[in-house]
Amino acid sequence: MSFRFPRFPVSAPVRDTGPMMTTTMAASDPGPIGLRAEAVGMTYRRGQHETVALAECSLDIPRGTWASLIGASGCGKSTLLRIFADIVKPTAGVATLHGLSPAQARANRTFALVSQQSTMLPWRKILGNVELGLEVAGAQPVERRNTAMQMIELVGLAGFENAYPHELSGGMRQRAAIARALTLRPQFLLMDEPFGALDEITREKLNFELLRILRETGATMLLVTHSISEAIILSDQVAVMTPRPGRISHLVRIGFGHDRTAAMRDDPRFTACEAELRHALHGGAPLH
Amino acid sequence: MSAVDASVLIPATAAATPAPVADEGPTRWERARKVVLPALLLVAGLALWQYVTATGKIDALILASPAAIVSAFSTSGGEILANMLVTLGEALAGFAIGNTLGLLIAIAFVHSDLTRRTIYPLAIAAEAVPIVAIIPVLILWLGNGMAPKIFIAVFLTFFPMLVNAYRGLRSADTDVKELLYTLSASPRQVLFMVRLPASVPFLFNALKLTACTCVVSSIVAEWLASSEGLGFLITLYGARYQIPEVWATALTCTAMSLCVFGAVVVAERLAMPWRRTAST
Ligand SMILES: Nc1ncnc2c1ncn2[C@@H]1O[C@H](COP(=O)(O)OP(=O)(O)OP(=O)(O)O)[C@@H](O)[C@H]1O
Ligand SMILES: [Mg+2]
Repeated sequence: MSFRFPRFPVSAPVRDTGPMMTTTMAASDPGPIGLRAEAVGMTYRRGQHETVALAECSLDIPRGTWASLIGASGCGKSTLLRIFADIVKPTAGVATLHGLSPAQARANRTFALVSQQSTMLPWRKILGNVELGLEVAGAQPVERRNTAMQMIELVGLAGFENAYPHELSGGMRQRAAIARALTLRPQFLLMDEPFGALDEITREKLNFELLRILRETGATMLLVTHSISEAIILSDQVAVMTPRPGRISHLVRIGFGHDRTAAMRDDPRFTACEAELRHALHGGAPLH
Repeated sequence: MSAVDASVLIPATAAATPAPVADEGPTRWERARKVVLPALLLVAGLALWQYVTATGKIDALILASPAAIVSAFSTSGGEILANMLVTLGEALAGFAIGNTLGLLIAIAFVHSDLTRRTIYPLAIAAEAVPIVAIIPVLILWLGNGMAPKIFIAVFLTFFPMLVNAYRGLRSADTDVKELLYTLSASPRQVLFMVRLPASVPFLFNALKLTACTCVVSSIVAEWLASSEGLGFLITLYGARYQIPEVWATALTCTAMSLCVFGAVVVAERLAMPWRRTAST
């Protein structure tokens, strides 16, 4: 990976203007283009009523790196993810995945989305749900069964492959949704609070499982989370969003390499990142 | 009378020993109750019926006694059965054709707005035609064989299926549609993987609505003009004052309707295994 990580967390305060931010990023990011949002704006309209979900939102996630979005509820995190996933079209600016438009990326099946609702088809068993992506992509039945079973095992759902989604807990459904996303070996992994319904222990276990998979596949990840520590564990950079209109107010670099273990929590840098993110979340000015 | 009493006791004693199982879903007693209570009512009704007719409180010409009806079955059972098959054939053919047509057109509606806007108003207009009132015309056009009966059953099943299927095909959650969209699924894949499975409960609503209707409509049409079928048989027996046979035939009609309806209900349970384990 040509992208080098700064040794210590460095926060990059972001001004209101998109172009300025892009230049700030470009200075410190020589990595190849991955996920990129350039001055993305999103205004939802319902009749007379308008909601500005995103304004001048810029973000650059080099290929093979991991980023998290944190911010208060309703500040537009899902919206940004859904723009990358081609579910909604931005009303301003552009979003690209490896230089491709979201529509092209979707047609090429280069990304997988784990939605906030961990959507399952209620009439399919867990195995059928995990196989869905490969089935749509036209994989052979044997291959897709094997891959699906492997991923089901990986997320700790072995033995539940023949259960229906409603027979599983919310956290188990989330894990099934993650398994489904992983079967496709996506170049880009877009995840919206995928571990939200999990207990601390399972969450951390899956965090490190996910890290291993990310390392193996070299995938680029954009993760939405409400947990500061999860954001640090899983990211090279954490973008903090502020609401109304949604924009990225702080960008915190997490200076750990990609070889991470649970011991990273005890690292003083971890605590420093935590403090900085908490400060940023409360709307503070950058610490430095 | 004593035979009737005994039959009252049989389900009652069976139900009096509640099953110890309580593991999955309703207990055996709860399940049995669904059958036992209506059965008790039926038997009580039969007992009353036999009583009022056997004692001559109601004239036998007006209401045949259950015993007379049973003997009518034993003498004319073959004839009734043969005609039942004719009626059943008409009803099922109409049911199958009408529902298939309704479903196919609903699928076309979902995929083409133009088709929907063109056909829907016409379908609604057709639905407003009081079909029973034009049966004589249909018989004039299509003869007095099975064709007009099938046509009417098609006519009556088609619209409820169209409306329900159209709603069902569009009933999948937005989340699910978005999932298939991000997976870049083709319209065909969306149809088979999402739309059709999501519509199953709606399809069965339509099937249940029309299962009995198509039997009834076939009988009514036969009753008006036919040389075979249960409807024809009723007019024939009526003209001959074979009142127990009329009742036996009417009961056969009812049983047939119930069987068609029951088959739909059983199919519904088989078609939606994911619902069976859902909270009851
Ligand atoms: N389809 C929509 N139509 C209208 N407004 C919408 C729509 N989707 C989102 N919004 C609005 O956009 C804003 C951002 O929503 P979004 O779902 O992106 O928030 P979020 O950051 O993901 O929140 P949470 O953490 O609660 O999931 C909210 O104010 C919401 O009301
Ligand atoms: Mg959200």
